Amino acid sequence: MKPPPVSISCKDLTLRFPVYGVDAKSLKKHLAKIAVGGRLGSHHGSAEVTAISNLSLELKAGDRLGLVGHNGSGKTTLLRALSGAYEPDEGSIEVQGHIAALLDLNLGIDPTATGMDNIRLRGRIAGLTAREVDERLPEIAEFSGLGAFLEMPVKTYSAGMQARLAFAAATAVEADVLLMDEWIAVGDADFQKIAHKRLLKLVERAGILVLASHDVELLRLYCNKVMRMDGGVASPVTDIKKLDELLAA
Amino acid sequence: MTTATHMLRTGRRGALFEYQMAFRDLRASVERIDLAWSLAWHDVVSRYRGSILGPLWITLSMGLMVLGIGVLYGELFRVPLHEFMPFVALGIVFFGVVTATINEGCDTFVQAAGMLSQTSLPMFTFIWRTVLRNLINLAHHIVIVLAVLVYYGFWRIANYPVALLGIFFLIVNVAWISMLVAIISARFRDIPQIVASITQSAAIMTPVFWLPDRIPPRYHLILDANPFYHLLQAVRAPLMGRGVEPHTFAFLAGMAVVGWVLVFSLFANTRRRIVHYL
Repeated sequence: MKPPPVSISCKDLTLRFPVYGVDAKSLKKHLAKIAVGGRLGSHHGSAEVTAISNLSLELKAGDRLGLVGHNGSGKTTLLRALSGAYEPDEGSIEVQGHIAALLDLNLGIDPTATGMDNIRLRGRIAGLTAREVDERLPEIAEFSGLGAFLEMPVKTYSAGMQARLAFAAATAVEADVLLMDEWIAVGDADFQKIAHKRLLKLVERAGILVLASHDVELLRLYCNKVMRMDGGVASPVTDIKKLDELLAA
Repeated sequence: MTTATHMLRTGRRGALFEYQMAFRDLRASVERIDLAWSLAWHDVVSRYRGSILGPLWITLSMGLMVLGIGVLYGELFRVPLHEFMPFVALGIVFFGVVTATINEGCDTFVQAAGMLSQTSLPMFTFIWRTVLRNLINLAHHIVIVLAVLVYYGFWRIANYPVALLGIFFLIVNVAWISMLVAIISARFRDIPQIVASITQSAAIMTPVFWLPDRIPPRYHLILDANPFYHLLQAVRAPLMGRGVEPHTFAFLAGMAVVGWVLVFSLFANTRRRIVHYL
């Protein structure tokens, strides 16, 4: 059976966030509030933010979408929603294909575990079977260039070494849909060069790329379409050639 | 690759729909139970990497505690050692797995924040991770149980089928409590301390270190209304060749049903929000 073609389809997507302040995270303060009877502020002392409103998006194989917009305009939220982590409040998201999200490399790394264990963990989470992970282990280990350090706990690594490990582990799995928050540039100059090559390969293999970035040159290089987010509202998807007009608007 | 390659996420469509989605999460976690197993195994292996005995370190220290308490309290309470030692050993091992699973439950989602915020993994996977991790540890501590049962000869009179039933009820109940505190702790960060103090006082109020038949009848509510007592009793009594009162199993079954209904409803209603709590 032929699998359905890779695609992303968002219909009238709306995402709201409760923002919990420090006070809202304490049960004691919660109870104290009820006892005193003062219900100041909105819902349980947490405000609600509409991060994305009424976004519709259709992407098919071969689409390389760049997301532009100011900080807090909803780019990362959209990527997280596409990865399946955030549930929409209204509308729907449908993704065909295996998703890989390279949003925050260090998240999910266990600092007390060894480098090898972290690679295994990451591979399992990405959907590989234990055997598949073992098959790829040598290649990932070699790419990371960490050698004997892989047998040491990650907390003993320097920041650059940690970044190498995270990058090697996260990019070891091919995906149909690749979600990226900023083009990842990690490690020293040498590593940046090979990391760049590896990412390019990953992008070429992926059916769809969604890349959020502030770097205009980068977007021109890798994307063929672009969308601008503004306070959670998305512009229509336009051709990358019209990027300047979109940014000026 | 075994991962589903189709993902559909939709907005709120009423209460029934939320329950369906919660159920789908549960089913997906069961289909990928090997992932939960890998995560649990990773936790155990990485925690004890570099130590020769691994989790048996905990078993060793637990064994020393059993010896110490068994000898000292046996003397204080004037109970013969051959009766008190197995009692305390079983108590410490099985009560230990109960409190550890509940206490660690508080960290279940908080610890998994990184994975939950960029993947579509089922949330139940992380509940199973905590439960399985503690079962792996329990499997190590079984050494103490076996040693005591064999040394004091209880292995001949132990009722294993009933004990297994007791362990089943223990796991089912501890799992929902672990999930309950996981969800609440994600929302309210002061819950773990509260949970820790509850399990700590439970260790004192429950006959782990003292014999239940020493308690005067007018205080019997301390036993009958204490869920931890029933959890422990259903495993310990049969292993010591004693009968379990039917109301203990009735209590545990009722607790499992009510608890799971409650926790599942809570999960269905908070599932969308948990990732934002973190």
